[in-house]
Amino acid sequence: MIIQFFSDTWLLWILLSIGGLLWWRGRDNQYFHYVFNRYWLALATLLLVSGIVFSLMEVLPGDCAEKYIAYKNTQGETITQADIQAERVRMGLDKSLPERWGRWVTNLTLRGDLGFSCAKRQSVNLALGDRFWMSFMFCMAGLLFAYLIAVPFGIFSAFTINKPWKDKNPQHSQVEQWIGTVMLSGQKVLDLLLRVISYLGLALPNFLLALTIILLYVFAGEPMPTGLFSDQWASVPWFGPNGFEMEKLYDFLGHIWLPIFVIGWSATALQLQTVRALVVDESSKLYVDAARARGVDGVALWAGYPVRHSISPLFNSIGFDFQRVFNDLPIVAVVIGLTDSAALLIEALSMTNDQELAAGILFLVALVVISMNFITDVVLAAIDPRVRKSVLGS
Amino acid sequence: MNALLARFGRKAKPEQNEESYYTAGQLALIKARFKQKTSGIVAAWILGTLVLMGFFAPFFSPVDPTINGADGEYRRGEPQVVFFWDKEGFSLRPFSYSYQKTTSKIDLKALAGGGLDALDALTSSGALSSSSQNKFTVDKTERRYLQLFVQGWEYSLIDLSVGGLDLDIRWDRHLFGVDKGQLHLMGTDEDGKDIFSRTLHAIWVTISIAIVALVVKLIASLFVGGVSGYFGGRVDTILMSITEAVRVIPPIPIYLACAVALSQIDLTPVQRYFAIAVVIGALDFATLGRRLRTHILTERNQDYVLAAQLCGSSTWRIIWRHLIPSFTSYIIVDTLINFPYVILAETSLSFLGLGLTEPVNSLGVLLQKAQDPDIQQNMIWQFFPVLVFVVLIMAFVFVGDALRDAADPYSEKK
Amino acid sequence: MMINQKISENLLEIRDLSIDFNTDEGLVRAVDNLSLSIRPGEVMGLVGESGSGKSITAKSIMQLAPGNAIIQHPSQITLNHREQAVNVLKLRGRDLRLVRGNAVSMIFQEPMASFAPAIRISDQIIQTMQIHLGYDKDQARRAGIELFDRVGIVDPAKRFDQYVFELSGGMRQRAMIAMALSTQPKLLIADEPTTALDVTIQAQVLDLMMELREQLGMAMLFITHDLGVVSKIADNVTVMQQGKVVEAGMADQVLFQPEHAYTRRLLDALPNLDNLPQAPAKTPAPLLSVTDLSISYPTMGSGRQREVYTAVKNINLDLPEGQIIGLVGESGSGKTSLGKAMLGAAPISSGTVEYHHTKKKVKFGATKAIKRKRLARTAQLVFQDPYSSLNPRMTVRDIIAEPLEAMKLTKSREETDQRVIEVARLCHIEVEHLRRFPHAFSGGQRQRISIARALVCKPKFIVADESVAALDVSIQAEILKLLKQLRDELGLTIMFISHDLSVIANLCDWVCVMKEGELVEQGTVRQIFLDPQQGYTQQLIAAIPLLHSPKGRQQRLPDLLQMAEYSANTVEQRLA
Repeated sequence: MIIQFFSDTWLLWILLSIGGLLWWRGRDNQYFHYVFNRYWLALATLLLVSGIVFSLMEVLPGDCAEKYIAYKNTQGETITQADIQAERVRMGLDKSLPERWGRWVTNLTLRGDLGFSCAKRQSVNLALGDRFWMSFMFCMAGLLFAYLIAVPFGIFSAFTINKPWKDKNPQHSQVEQWIGTVMLSGQKVLDLLLRVISYLGLALPNFLLALTIILLYVFAGEPMPTGLFSDQWASVPWFGPNGFEMEKLYDFLGHIWLPIFVIGWSATALQLQTVRALVVDESSKLYVDAARARGVDGVALWAGYPVRHSISPLFNSIGFDFQRVFNDLPIVAVVIGLTDSAALLIEALSMTNDQELAAGILFLVALVVISMNFITDVVLAAIDPRVRKSVLGS
Repeated sequence: MNALLARFGRKAKPEQNEESYYTAGQLALIKARFKQKTSGIVAAWILGTLVLMGFFAPFFSPVDPTINGADGEYRRGEPQVVFFWDKEGFSLRPFSYSYQKTTSKIDLKALAGGGLDALDALTSSGALSSSSQNKFTVDKTERRYLQLFVQGWEYSLIDLSVGGLDLDIRWDRHLFGVDKGQLHLMGTDEDGKDIFSRTLHAIWVTISIAIVALVVKLIASLFVGGVSGYFGGRVDTILMSITEAVRVIPPIPIYLACAVALSQIDLTPVQRYFAIAVVIGALDFATLGRRLRTHILTERNQDYVLAAQLCGSSTWRIIWRHLIPSFTSYIIVDTLINFPYVILAETSLSFLGLGLTEPVNSLGVLLQKAQDPDIQQNMIWQFFPVLVFVVLIMAFVFVGDALRDAADPYSEKK
Repeated sequence: MMINQKISENLLEIRDLSIDFNTDEGLVRAVDNLSLSIRPGEVMGLVGESGSGKSITAKSIMQLAPGNAIIQHPSQITLNHREQAVNVLKLRGRDLRLVRGNAVSMIFQEPMASFAPAIRISDQIIQTMQIHLGYDKDQARRAGIELFDRVGIVDPAKRFDQYVFELSGGMRQRAMIAMALSTQPKLLIADEPTTALDVTIQAQVLDLMMELREQLGMAMLFITHDLGVVSKIADNVTVMQQGKVVEAGMADQVLFQPEHAYTRRLLDALPNLDNLPQAPAKTPAPLLSVTDLSISYPTMGSGRQREVYTAVKNINLDLPEGQIIGLVGESGSGKTSLGKAMLGAAPISSGTVEYHHTKKKVKFGATKAIKRKRLARTAQLVFQDPYSSLNPRMTVRDIIAEPLEAMKLTKSREETDQRVIEVARLCHIEVEHLRRFPHAFSGGQRQRISIARALVCKPKFIVADESVAALDVSIQAEILKLLKQLRDELGLTIMFISHDLSVIANLCDWVCVMKEGELVEQGTVRQIFLDPQQGYTQQLIAAIPLLHSPKGRQQRLPDLLQMAEYSANTVEQRLA
């Protein structure tokens, strides 16, 4: 009886105990007080998001009863309008929107139940399985890829901005001026090239990029790297009779790079702009000049001062970067033939009109973004003195 | 020498320029800074050309892009090259050739004879495969000379009748064309519609969607940001939590849901077009709205606003004379930077078949065709819109970049 | 490293330095043929106003000039270091470390901005020592804490590991000095190191610098606009105007027998306590009365935890009509809040402000809201910052006409224009400039525009909130002259808020001193400056950087070189 009660309400207890713990610690500790505030703010935002997502899905045509009855219809039963109405009442669809939303949210907060998908005729949690984690990993890998490219190039770009093409310093000798000019224009050209390449990622729509790469494979006569595995490896378990299947791993890596590359490249442009702006902003500050005046130079200067101070704001935006990358994922998933939650989302929205599934996936994305924002806020307040000062006072 | 040059440089500065600098408003200052960015200038020229060609697409395109202008004789045709000379000599006026469709010689008699060999021969010759459908022979003896300002189909150059004005300038001249037949610079599609002309027309359709979307977005953002920033307090808290919630949901799925809902309603193409633009714009208020709010909050605490208050200015006067002008330059820059993203949103929708659809000419529609394996393998010239699209977006991004760098005139105090 | 054959006895020698700025409008000369030399252990005061090229000169010694600055031929900066003459301008790469932080170090005007905000002060100092002295971390740490102790920071071990924003303004500048001294430089460049500080703290920091200089015997290039500060600290003085040296020589000579008119003008701006204006025979009737005024602002926190910061506490004050009343106090004393409250622009929590002699009586307080339009015609404000107080998107004409148009005081555009031109003439703004935008003007001209805007609707009372603080001394003098002229011609009552006692002494008839929200003392200028009653006022007056008499200075000069050697040895002993 009690076990049943707790297994039905486990999530609520976890949420409450985290909140309680934070509140308790925050009574005399400014930092935990801040964390507690952020925590309930995040929960409130989530509630709001669930409301928005739930009511948005109302615009999709059809409802659960119709789909269910339509399914029965294919099984050979004759259906009347009255049957549909009866089904609606049975499913609670005749209730008002706030009531249905209330029930959905209650189930969600009590035990993490995302509802029941009529089109798939199973619970949303089951239908998703680990597919959401797959999408999550894609996005994180794509983001990592974007950061790996954007951060060094963005710093480089910031380094060359506002520099002239020619070295006209009269204190340099003729030879020095000549070498300086070559160096400067070389840097400028490289910067331009890097920007063109990274902006190409933005200008080539994801689906086209994916298509073009697949097309190249077709022309080369190689098997297309669509999906996650080749047919021959799809059903082979990771641990075969000969231990870990390295071949399967290679096959997996041979496929997985494509979606990561595609979404990563398109995220690069924005990241590059952000990094460039941040570093330029920091490097024009007086403390950089002061560090220079103390004899700090070269890598120690750039890495230790402007770059180091740009990391926090960059880290702070990771939640929204994730959202932006996930935004691109569905279409790429369709083109590449992935079976993750992004592909499910497209299917649910544009083909099966599966409101519950779509709402569930969108809610999960929002959950990830909000959690990331929460984590970055909390972490930055702990480690960056500037943030700590602004959120906690002195 | 250098000192001399320096003095010369100083003297060379005309007095008039100085005065014009002093009497220059904020936008003029941004323009002056923008002019120093080489990549921005180049991109701006490319962008300007493309937009101009898009706006006057009927004038610049040699062929009617609709099904009326489709060239039934030249379906799936390759781009027609323009020459200045050939074996018969040089011509100052560029020319193209006429093309003839090779009718595949299907030996019906042999087939009728029931010979399997004949059928084999037919299939192996490739007459039935799609790749041979666009085999044309070039008739090199018949030159088609390029003409300027040729007469063609009638179109409206500027049509303001939509805006309630009774102004519709119609014309039938086109910048260039050939004397006989039609010129397909970038080839044709399955229906014989001219790719070049379609692309030109598509540019303006796409850009105008983006403009409508951005205007809607601007209105929504101004409303949210303005109300939130000016009133503050509880209104601010509520509005900002809503924007914060909207901001975390990925937009494309939401556009999708709205597009699906729209597809249930029976709409004319024009209505559908506006509906999509409005949806894209209205749901994108969160970021700009937030920024405007912060902007108003900081700007409101500037001394000059307090000065205006102490001068007895009313609230509306302060908003109208001081606050709104203070972010016009910011809004313009932000709008330009957002152009590519809105265009991408439109193409994404069209790609999924939920935005605009054939036979409307939009870059999204033309791009969608690029995923067709038939086109990828046999009609590579249908990637021309893709190229134009990429150039357009790149131009926007580079102009936006340069503008962003130029638009911060208060970074240094003069 | 470029090594010259001839070794001069000067530590630093700048010869024919010419610097151009590459701007939108072509090359602009910033420094023109400047020559200057500093001997070991000598303090050179480099005096000039903004735009005179003094900061860029200092920066070019460190090769820190911004990218658009072009150092022209045949400029030469030579540094004598370890028996070698090094041409600083030719240094490249790692050799630059010789002048950057090693032989030369620099203190900037804003200590807050010159420390990296997210790095502990300790790490920045330790890094510097590691680069130049090759100390290991513990060694550098011990030396750093000792330095902190030496520059007078209380609880040095704790402060050493803090971030810059955790220190107070004076502490920050002390930490900055400690950082500059950490590598035992031969030359310390100090770029307006005390300008951003309050008078009393400025005096403390100056004393500290003098003390350290005598102990360590290092040479100093002290850049400032304030001749009072220079007279306190410098041996030799170079005066710059618009990129050119107009006068140079021994401090006593330049300060007491100036030859150039510009130097004399700068000297005139200094307070002269022997020649304070006489107070009028009888005090005129008050124009406005402040009764039991308190102002408080809510601070951090929300709901029940909300705390209130009281900026002004129970002030009673009468402002005599037709006089200039000075309101003096250090930052945080509540003087600006008081000024704004008089205009109805600060939240009054209790008490009232009452204007007499207006057509209709204006009285407001915590409970009575004010009618802004009625007040706007009576009282106006001139702001501190001449940049942010003018809307950059409006022409000067529109800015000045704002009150007229906002309150619809004029009937036609012509009438408005006429009034604007009238006021512009009064404030010495050229009529042709009215169609320009504010970015075309310098600080002083902007402040004239600000004054013109305040005067356009013929108010009786003006609050000038630190209105000359951002301006150069010679420009200050012009604005002060204008204010006096306005008082005399229009019978204006002006409340002049300032932290700068020298300005107050030159301008005001009546002075009020504020500290931490309370009115400490008030009286005529002569009373306050010559016979201050309260301890705080005495402290303030004593901290004014006045010209020091020549006698006290000359004793110091002869044994400077000896001292330099002696103290260099002691430093090494202490730090080793």
